[in-house]
Amino acid sequence: MNFTFRRKRISGILVVMPANERCFDEEMKNFNFPPARSLKLKEVMGFDKRRIVTPGVCVSDLSVFGLQKLFERGWLRREDIDALLLVTQTPDHFMPATSCLVHGRLGLKHDVLCLDINQGCAGFVIGLMQAFMLLEQEAVKKAVLINADVLSRKASPKDRNIYPLIGDAASITVLERDTQDSVIYGNVKADGSRAEALIIPAGALRLPSTPETAVLEDVGDRNLRAKDHVFMDGSAIFNFVQTEIPPLIESLLKQAGVSVDSVDYFLCHQPNRFMLEKLADKMKVPYAKMPNNVVEHFGNNGSVTIPTLIAFNLGERLLKESLHVCLAGFGGGLAWSSLLLKLGNMEFNSIVEYK
Amino acid sequence: MDKVEFCQKLAEILDIEEVKLEDVLNEFEQWDSLAVLSALAMADAKYGVTIRADEIRSVVTAGDLANLVEEKQKQLALKP
Repeated sequence: MNFTFRRKRISGILVVMPANERCFDEEMKNFNFPPARSLKLKEVMGFDKRRIVTPGVCVSDLSVFGLQKLFERGWLRREDIDALLLVTQTPDHFMPATSCLVHGRLGLKHDVLCLDINQGCAGFVIGLMQAFMLLEQEAVKKAVLINADVLSRKASPKDRNIYPLIGDAASITVLERDTQDSVIYGNVKADGSRAEALIIPAGALRLPSTPETAVLEDVGDRNLRAKDHVFMDGSAIFNFVQTEIPPLIESLLKQAGVSVDSVDYFLCHQPNRFMLEKLADKMKVPYAKMPNNVVEHFGNNGSVTIPTLIAFNLGERLLKESLHVCLAGFGGGLAWSSLLLKLGNMEFNSIVEYK
Repeated sequence: MDKVEFCQKLAEILDIEEVKLEDVLNEFEQWDSLAVLSALAMADAKYGVTIRADEIRSVVTAGDLANLVEEKQKQLALKP
């Protein structure tokens, strides 16, 4: 499904990164694999350092911290938030919405729409689209999009499939109307028949958590995980990305009538270096145009990878200039989505540490 | 398909000297999720076929995997 948005812009991104750093070389001792194979995995996937929260830290903690920084630095006024969207799959509670908890803790105005969106790695792009749609309303002058997850809390430390790649983080993106007559192109797709490729089987109402769902099991691949833990079918996700993302982006560029060469950067979700290199190969895009260095520094932090990529690699640059970028998110659901826009002349674009 | 070359590619993925067509994949200590993923990527990049995770788990020997890739290539060639 294709979308177009007119006169909208991203005015700033602030990423909130936990100060707590983990290192693959230390953690590989926990896995039931020969060290040589784990080192090979590190080399191929680009695993090295990652950031995760300390015990007990929740999505609303990272989000409130980030918004307070924006208020302190004068980058956002609390009374200007007309919509507060929060994309997460690791909410503080089933109910109420974590966006409402953030709203309450900051004492924000009542004239506001608070909305949680349950999306994973496609959640930055899908969240932006929701915010652009809200900005069609005259009453909404600024929309704030929070992407935040603490998925490390749901990953088994003995599951080499997922534990060494997971990162935690939050990002706050401020969106507003553009005074220039700009056009943003987008598209979105979903396939719920492949929902089980990325799932936390237990802990909600279909399969409530019990002592049994907390038992670690080896399902035959030397990894130990419980039903309370996040499960990822790595091979299915690899095929999904290789099969669905090149045509998604191709169709977006066609819709916009532009060529691959005219795009400055393809800023994709960051599952790991391996998958991004294979994606770039398939799309015949040079690696320099599709940066893949988030996992090695911060881990895969779900819907926060694209803002992390932007702030980490293009932080200063996008304050002064504007680039033609394609964003692509893909993950749990399954859901996949892309956007083509001019990104730049931002008021802020940086990373702060959460301690 | 050049099966000698296919076996060489598999040997590179497994980080070993040699793979023979009759070798049972599960008997290699190195045949882990990374090796499976690398084999899927090799089938895609070199032979232009997509192998599903359940298909690769159902093959026994290196030769079976080569046959699966070859079969997929034939199906692809038959498509209009």
